[in-house]
Amino acid sequence: MSKPVSVAAQSRSQRTERVLTFAAGLVLLAAGALALVVASGALGEFRAQRPVLDPVALDWLGRQQQALVRGVAIAAGVALFAFGLWWFVRSLRPEGRPDIELDREPGRGVTVTSTAITDAVEADAEAIEGISRARARSVGDTEHPALRLHLWLREGSDLRHVWHELDTQVLARARESLGVPVLPTAVRLELGSGRRQRVR
Amino acid sequence: MRGLVRFFSALLALAVAAAGVLLVLEVAWRWARPGAAPLLVPWPAWRASLSELTWTSMAVQVTALVVAVVGLVLLIVASTARSRDVRLHDPATEVSVTTSPRSLARLVGQHVRAQDNVTGATVTASARKVRVRALSRLETEQQLRPRLTESVALFLGDLPLTQRPKISVVVDSPKDRR
Repeated sequence: MSKPVSVAAQSRSQRTERVLTFAAGLVLLAAGALALVVASGALGEFRAQRPVLDPVALDWLGRQQQALVRGVAIAAGVALFAFGLWWFVRSLRPEGRPDIELDREPGRGVTVTSTAITDAVEADAEAIEGISRARARSVGDTEHPALRLHLWLREGSDLRHVWHELDTQVLARARESLGVPVLPTAVRLELGSGRRQRVR
Repeated sequence: MRGLVRFFSALLALAVAAAGVLLVLEVAWRWARPGAAPLLVPWPAWRASLSELTWTSMAVQVTALVVAVVGLVLLIVASTARSRDVRLHDPATEVSVTTSPRSLARLVGQHVRAQDNVTGATVTASARKVRVRALSRLETEQQLRPRLTESVALFLGDLPLTQRPKISVVVDSPKDRR
């Protein structure tokens, strides 16, 4: 949670999906293993010979208040449905491209659309020697917008030179034109791809 | 694996939501019309057969095994979906830089192939470890390995990596087989 915005912007977070998938896997593994343990007779031969849907449990359920049991079942069903729907939408929704709000005061709001800034940054970055292709997009949410810059470097290009140019030219200009002191940026480099070109 | 997690995650979510809907529908239907046949899920038939099956029956054991294996697959998929990006030093505040392990491997591969007496090389890389397998027709492993290791270490030292990867070099040379 304490990750800087620029680090979080590196790639889309999959934490929730991973944790929930892991939990589901754990539950399934535990259930399957438990059933096998019961079947092996480790919890008693008598238990292993009992039906899966035990009449004792069914009797107990039948003795409870019917309205209560049904109410609980319906509530559980609604909760499962709501949770499942939230999880589903979360898993499938595309990553947002927020606009960058420079001024939020009512009546004086200034918003830079996501494509306006990314097009400018792409053009600037591609002008740097050694960069063959640049793709930029805004990521995050409107509260914490960030820039993700995907750069393809030519084979043999000087990393330190590109580094320096990137900060002093591209990002500085972006910060300047937006009028912000810091612009959280995540840079993803693809190295040594494309045409062979010696810069040495 | 990252795409796979999203896929499984969506599938599981759908299953959970569907289970919730069916539960609500069946219970409400039963409540409204106690004598009627079930709406969508033939649960009285399931209840009847589950009441006869014992834990030791083959069907139950096979199902349990399948469920456990599916659970294990989900665990593996979820735990291998970490990001494998290689972090580089931040050039400025609030600017983070990463590269892919593939890029790093490609870079090291180009460097190794440019060395003298190296015929070919395959490189695999992660943030922690770089493995080089070089092929040389002219030098033996004894001769080439120290030189390559040092050269790769120098090369990696020149890159602004946050973490120094360990280097392992293996030289495959026909001269060693004589």
